Amino acid sequence: MGFSRLAAAMTVLFASAAACASGDKTFERQVPAEAHGVVDISNVNGTVVVSGWDRPEVSVRAELSEGVERVDVSTDHGRTTVKVVQPHSGHGGEADLHVQIPKDSELTVSAVSADVATAGVTGVQRLNTVSGDITAELGGSDLELKSVSGNVKLKGHGQPARLHVSTVSGDVHLEHGAGELEAGTVSGTLVVSLDSARSVRARSTSGDVHFEGKLARGADFDATSVSGDLNVRASADAGYAYEVSTFSGDISNCFNATPSEHGHLPGHTLQGTRGDGAGHLRLKTMSGDVQLCDRK
Amino acid sequence: MSGTGSADERKVSSLRELSPAIEPPRDLWPQIEARINAERRSAPAAQPRPARARAVPPRWLAAAAVMASVAVGVCKAGASAAPTALDVAYVSDPRYQRDRAALMKSLQTRLAALPPAARAKVMASLAAIQRAKQDLQSALGKDPGNALLQELLVNTYQDEMRVLTDIHAASDAGRGI
Repeated sequence: MGFSRLAAAMTVLFASAAACASGDKTFERQVPAEAHGVVDISNVNGTVVVSGWDRPEVSVRAELSEGVERVDVSTDHGRTTVKVVQPHSGHGGEADLHVQIPKDSELTVSAVSADVATAGVTGVQRLNTVSGDITAELGGSDLELKSVSGNVKLKGHGQPARLHVSTVSGDVHLEHGAGELEAGTVSGTLVVSLDSARSVRARSTSGDVHFEGKLARGADFDATSVSGDLNVRASADAGYAYEVSTFSGDISNCFNATPSEHGHLPGHTLQGTRGDGAGHLRLKTMSGDVQLCDRK
Repeated sequence: MSGTGSADERKVSSLRELSPAIEPPRDLWPQIEARINAERRSAPAAQPRPARARAVPPRWLAAAAVMASVAVGVCKAGASAAPTALDVAYVSDPRYQRDRAALMKSLQTRLAALPPAARAKVMASLAAIQRAKQDLQSALGKDPGNALLQELLVNTYQDEMRVLTDIHAASDAGRGI
């Protein structure tokens, strides 16, 4: 190691040590990264804000409260890892992370109570929280999102992608999505707006499902719930065949079709075709009410 | 002492990696018991606790009781006394039974590991699944051949497994991170 390298390394070490010794809880670090590399970020409490940029480097800035041990940043073979380390006692503090990554990176964020926000990331995103809320901008690549009780807000720009979203009790709001959507919740509410959908599968136990958007030619749309209401306003240039079933809920629609009953058995069904009937739309619920309209 | 170990010797980094079948070299309990009894004999007569200490149960005890009731509720619903034909077909799948039993075994512990606000919401969601299963089973009792209800019941079983798996993963998240 040359003297200049050694001096630089020592300077970084002393700077870090000085930061720790003075109780300064700000952490900053930049590391080189590949334009299409992988970035993994993990944090327990606090926030994680990730934004994409054009530079081939990952920049990390963090404000650390009392109780956070340190932030580890490492890079190896195109994978950059940013990890907030809590003490083993489990009584950790909060860390607010601001991370800038090459915009085409494949991003994975794992958080417990930390809220997560992403913007300007065009690569694949995998975002997981336990109770933290998630706000993400869709960049045209696939998104896998999972939260237990956190609420989810997604905003797209009408670029088709495969979107997988699941929560246990968190609400999901999606605006201007496109492509394929698979969304599931137990008791959260799903509010979805898609500019152009090829495939939609939405499932809920007790939460309501609200969909508004346009179906691509030949699109498949499935929504089911046990007790949640299904409110679907789906238009399609080439129309769709629809089939609505409920055991004890009510069915209403904006095109004056009359649901049929099952003789002496409970339940209602509404079947028919709008336009050319190129797509397929199925709505099923046990006790939830269903509203269907082919106008936005 | 890495230089002295045999080639196939491996490091044990967690107690969980040790075989539970391995017994300690000798039974220490008789000595421990004798010592406890000796201390009891030498200790002064126990003072009665203040009434307040018994009247107000600790908060964690109340939370544990609620979690236990949810866990018991989920267990009972999984082994319903009068299952429908679909229940029998679905629930009798050995893989389902094995996976569900494994997840249920640790449910209380997993719930306790969640942040309190998340725990409350998850317990409400588990209760919603319970209600959904009961409502579907009850409706299927009236109309056993109803394909819609059968499909929704299967969905609900799958959703319950997803939630149990998610709780399992979520309670691990803090440790893994």
